[in-house]
Amino acid sequence: MKHQLTISVKNQGIAVERFLRVARHRGFRLTQLEMEGHDELFHVKMTVDSDKPIYLLTSQLSKLVEVHTVDLHSLQQQAI
Amino acid sequence: MTGAQLLIDLLAKHGVQEVFGYPGGAIMPIYDALYGAPVKHYLTRHEQGAGFAAVGYARSTGKLGVCFATSGPGATNLITALADAMMDSVPLLAITGQVPTAAIGSDAFQEIDVLGMSLSCTKHSYMVERAEDLAEVLQEAMHLAMSGRPGPVLVDIPKDIQLASAPFQPWLAMEEKLPELLNSEVQKAELLLSEAKRPIAYVGGGVQSAGAQAELMQFLNKTQMPAVSTLKALGSVLPEYEYDLGMLGMHGGQAANIAVQECDLLVCIGARFDDRVTGNLAKFAAKAKVIHLDIDPAEVGKRKPVAASLIADLKTSIPALGCFVTDEAWLRTIIQLKQQHAWRYDYPGEKVFAPYLLKELSKKMPTDGVVCCDVGQHQMWVAQHMTFSHPSNHLSSGGAGTMGFGLPAAIGAQIARPQNMVVTVSGDGSIMMNIQELATIRRNNLPVKIVILDNQRLGMVRQWQQLFFEGRYSETNLSDNPDFVQLAAVFGIPGQTITHAGEVDSAIDALVNSTGPYIVHACIDDKENVWPLVPPGAANDEMMTEKAQ
Repeated sequence: MKHQLTISVKNQGIAVERFLRVARHRGFRLTQLEMEGHDELFHVKMTVDSDKPIYLLTSQLSKLVEVHTVDLHSLQQQAI
Repeated sequence: MTGAQLLIDLLAKHGVQEVFGYPGGAIMPIYDALYGAPVKHYLTRHEQGAGFAAVGYARSTGKLGVCFATSGPGATNLITALADAMMDSVPLLAITGQVPTAAIGSDAFQEIDVLGMSLSCTKHSYMVERAEDLAEVLQEAMHLAMSGRPGPVLVDIPKDIQLASAPFQPWLAMEEKLPELLNSEVQKAELLLSEAKRPIAYVGGGVQSAGAQAELMQFLNKTQMPAVSTLKALGSVLPEYEYDLGMLGMHGGQAANIAVQECDLLVCIGARFDDRVTGNLAKFAAKAKVIHLDIDPAEVGKRKPVAASLIADLKTSIPALGCFVTDEAWLRTIIQLKQQHAWRYDYPGEKVFAPYLLKELSKKMPTDGVVCCDVGQHQMWVAQHMTFSHPSNHLSSGGAGTMGFGLPAAIGAQIARPQNMVVTVSGDGSIMMNIQELATIRRNNLPVKIVILDNQRLGMVRQWQQLFFEGRYSETNLSDNPDFVQLAAVFGIPGQTITHAGEVDSAIDALVNSTGPYIVHACIDDKENVWPLVPPGAANDEMMTEKAQ
């Protein structure tokens, strides 16, 4: 199932590597990625695909020190 | 003040008195700042030894463990210890030297992208880019390692930043993201407790991390709830607690595993449903609803759905549960299970029986002594047959299962707790993985005791080859081991070899009565297996036993 997340992270290159690593390792395939840097924050829009429940990813991403917010948007809801 | 001096100064200010490490080119300014400094540095003989000594220091005290290594191979050698600390939630600060900023990315001598390498094995990591950031980074790193769910934090410091003028900046504590207990979940938990007929407390390493042994024992004494422990939790439940069932899981006791399979409410206290604990997850405690207490929300519901989640510091969440007393009939069943499946030591042969030796060691050691393990059969025998009165007295590599952990961890524990006896129990496979640290014991005259249970095999792998790989003993024969007593003697450490059951008692006496370091090399049967065993894919009540075999 596909899920879209918006994540704001500290504007550091390593922060992006860190959350992409978590997504891969926890079994979520990246299908789309957009990033924009504003002042001290990166805003990332990311679509991932997995059979696993999405909270297994959001709970891990939320723990990362550089991550400020993780918001989940259900793609199916958006289609409706 | 240079960056290097600032580092040492900040460590001292934060109460770090001892660090472990190994110098090299890119960390030389830091070692120069250490010269004559109030922070005592212990030189190990391999960076992995330094990493595990810092882990042993941290786990035996609850304090921050600190280790240093140079760039490139120095840093890669720390990685296993970082991964170990990550899996077992150990507060660790690793400082690595890096090549000068201008050389980064040029494939310079001993340059490796340590920050990139650290991502999967640290709670957080930094590479310092500006000297003026150093003070803040270091203070934040020390805070992060200890806060919430503890873990390893790495700070990679390029050599030019170590040499540059670095101002001290008081650090404004970062916003704590620690979760607060939800009353609605406490109420759900209370309801589940009131309805339960056969509850079990499933105790994990979180109790030690939170320093919540007193709260746990208060809860158990009040409710009389039977308790099982993970490998890391051993010692959290006091051995005199009547309804303590010991370790559960793959090599757990039969009483513990059967009780969990039969329970109707599982109160998970700082544990994470590890696969070595659950066996076949779908069949694990299948009749039970779960209350999960943990500080890390990511662990709750990760492997098993929960009916109530108490996400908070265990010191807050455990006392929130009360007003409940366990059903008498269930307690009678628990006592029966304990009696029916008690460990037996009536070994028929004349050889040394490892479980008996460890039981005797446990009896003769002071209760505030520390036992460190490596990984394999001996580790499981320690968990089964030794008793501990606090989890900081039993240091065993749980999540990562790292062979080579025991000897350097014992060094760290002995330095942290000089008044306590520290014993490392190892196997003939594991001990060779960090054997060079005998030199560290000698260098510092540490009275670390060493027990090697030698079956001339990689015993646990051999056991699995026997049981599950048709007896094809691929690369597990270690019968060409060195003479361990002679080897220790080269490092000035006395000891003895024993081969018969009748020699066990006097050898243990010699070990515990020795004032300095001492080694007992116990030759055991090469075919001895660890029982019981939950085979891969089986439920925890489908244990293989020696009798069944």
